[in-house]
Amino acid sequence: MRMKLLTTAVISATMSLGIAGQLQADDFPSQPLSMVVGFGAGGSTDIQARVLANVLEEELGQPVNVVNQPGAGGAVALARLANNRDEGYTFAFGTSSTVTFGPHATETSFALDDFRYVAGITVGQAAIVTGEDRPFSASWEEVVEYARENPGTSYATQTALDRLVIEYIAKQEELDLRIVPTSGGAGMAPLILSGDVDFGYSGGTHSGYAETGEMPVLLGLDNERLVAFPDAPSLREAGYDINTGEIRVIMVPSNTPDSHVERLAEALEAATQDERFIEITEERILMPVTYVPEDEVTERLNEQSEGYRTLLEEMGGVPDDA
Amino acid sequence: MIGFDAILNAFVAALGFNAIMVVLGGVVLGYLVGVIPGLNRSVAIAIAIPLTFYMSAYAAIAFLIGLSKGTAAGSAVSAILLNTPGEASSAATCLDGYPMARAGKPRKALKIGLLASVIGDLLATLLLIAVAIPFAAVALKFGPYELTAILLFALVFIAGMAGGSFLKGLAAGGMGIILGTVGLDPETGAMRLTFGFAELMEGVPILPLVIGTLALSEMFVQLDHYRRNRDEKPIGLGKDRKQDDLSWQEFKTILPTILRGTGIGAFVGALPGLGPSVGSFMSYGLAKRSAKDPESFGKGNPRGIAASESADNAVIPASYIPLFGLGIPGSVSAALLVGAFMIHGIQVGPLMLRDHPEMLFTLFSGMIVASILMLGVGWYGLRLFAKVTSVPSHIVIPVVIFLCLAGIQVQGYGTFGMLVVFGFALFGYFLKKFDYSFVTFLVAFIVTPMLEMNLRQSIILSGGEISILLQRPIALTFCIATVLMALHLSWSGYRKRAELRAA
Repeated sequence: MRMKLLTTAVISATMSLGIAGQLQADDFPSQPLSMVVGFGAGGSTDIQARVLANVLEEELGQPVNVVNQPGAGGAVALARLANNRDEGYTFAFGTSSTVTFGPHATETSFALDDFRYVAGITVGQAAIVTGEDRPFSASWEEVVEYARENPGTSYATQTALDRLVIEYIAKQEELDLRIVPTSGGAGMAPLILSGDVDFGYSGGTHSGYAETGEMPVLLGLDNERLVAFPDAPSLREAGYDINTGEIRVIMVPSNTPDSHVERLAEALEAATQDERFIEITEERILMPVTYVPEDEVTERLNEQSEGYRTLLEEMGGVPDDA
Repeated sequence: MIGFDAILNAFVAALGFNAIMVVLGGVVLGYLVGVIPGLNRSVAIAIAIPLTFYMSAYAAIAFLIGLSKGTAAGSAVSAILLNTPGEASSAATCLDGYPMARAGKPRKALKIGLLASVIGDLLATLLLIAVAIPFAAVALKFGPYELTAILLFALVFIAGMAGGSFLKGLAAGGMGIILGTVGLDPETGAMRLTFGFAELMEGVPILPLVIGTLALSEMFVQLDHYRRNRDEKPIGLGKDRKQDDLSWQEFKTILPTILRGTGIGAFVGALPGLGPSVGSFMSYGLAKRSAKDPESFGKGNPRGIAASESADNAVIPASYIPLFGLGIPGSVSAALLVGAFMIHGIQVGPLMLRDHPEMLFTLFSGMIVASILMLGVGWYGLRLFAKVTSVPSHIVIPVVIFLCLAGIQVQGYGTFGMLVVFGFALFGYFLKKFDYSFVTFLVAFIVTPMLEMNLRQSIILSGGEISILLQRPIALTFCIATVLMALHLSWSGYRKRAELRAA
């Protein structure tokens, strides 16, 4: 009896192992996936990522676990991803500047071509915003004028990139600003809303406070005017020659097999047509959903990377704290 | 600001079948953990956090809250039947619970413990709801100056209150601060204290740290304890229910004690750092001192059990007041909840009121549901839980060690995670051995990034002019309070040592 039980156990164990092995060969994904978000919990990237994860879960038939690895404008997460060897089970959802700007600005352990860009799914709508009831009303010219007359006007920064942009603007307009670090959108919002900081960068968090008018948008940081805030001038229109158009992309290490990338791309394309994803992106974060396939998004990222390199040379490297 | 509809929806959400099942699961599991001697709330939450990764945010948090409430009530069972508190905060329950059980009234003792637990818990939960919301509404207006001052105050306060010695408290807090600064500098992106480990770039990973210091180290301590006490036999429930049950008359006589214990527990809980043990002993002491028959305490007085258990359970919801109101975790279980919230993408603190009001209200409703379920589970599970007290340590300890390590492995921390977990288990063992405060260490670790960011913001915004604090009444008040507190604590510590030397 005991012998028989043992044999059955051994046979069934072998069988299930065999099946598992087969599944792994044919069917990606055959185990839970991790979606790495390089920003803190509660910001706009994170909010969007969590809905995307739910949708992908259904498309891929496996749980998709969101993991926050905040730090250095998304670079911490990508540094870890670059060394990942699990063939697409771990992928990052993030903003393009982390790869187009990061490697030029800081010593990163990754470069633009360490990753494959499975697809772009959202066009960024970053902005420079302010709060209600400020001594300057909501227009960019007035802020500049105010800041010129009031040295020490404060600006809330989130990433090295927006820091560079504001330093570039400050240089061009001859402003003396106090640049305050914050921990992402969830850290910036209370400072702007409470009036502790005069104006600041927002990757998308401002959309949550747009309808109530709590966070007027001063300047759009995309190449075109912002979809939801067409009254605010774009960076170029305001007279600054910088291309900061962000794309939110899904990235995997460059050694990920084609079949896995294709499967992910397929699921992502379906996700960009899913109502829940469209709703959170277009109505809550207020960013247009656009599916940009791998080769096209890769080309755009390469162009932008080149642009940032030139800008940094012009500014003489990343601005110091001093 | 928040409509009645939203509150109603939150209640309805918390009363859904799935929502109730999750809370029930937490309460039952918590009860079991509480009943098993040597397993405590922190161990339970530390191990359960990885299990909640695949749940929705609400389910995860509701489960953890149900769990922590269940352990508080369950630990009374082993205190009464085994004279071994499931956790330190039930030690006062042993004093009267065990003699009463030995005198042939285990069922009565257990029911007193249960009712005191549930009433203490429920009333403190209602207090939390009443206080945390206005608190958070005010706290939303706080800027970096205020937050820096409040966080500093909380750290010094916790260092002073949690452990015996203020110096040891500061040392434990200092260790937490050092570990909390590991990783990338938030402003410049420079590496700090990573010693070349890429794994440390995002800071010391919280899960291995928590599981190591809290759960695994506790198993080492239990191993020590196990060798010394092998032959404790629990008291079984008797057959004779006539002799051994709680009557309505008796319940009425202990109700005032329960209410006072709840008040003491809620007060102690709302102050960060004090914790349930302080609450239950304070309440017990007060009940004994104010009784007409103080000599009957320690010999099976029902009011002794009621005082200790009501305070023990009231501490937990009350300790979430500073958590939801200000974002400051005041107890180990609150600190662990911060970690769980972060993992699920929610910034715990006053911002929840603005950004996730429906979540906050559903949670509160879930907490009330948990209180009520606790009563049902405890009442009908009495017999079962009495049996569980006899699960021997040589089964419990290896199972828990396995769960600890599996939790780290499942989360993909790999070899590095194992090193961290064992490192912190050793570290936690010595913290316990030499009586350094856990709460101070853990809260300092969690609060440090917040404190650092706010301090930097304050310095930059003020242009380095510290005098700006004089124009900020709230910040100024907390700065002065911090200094006074530190002076007071070091002075009283100095006097205590002087007295010891004189004696």
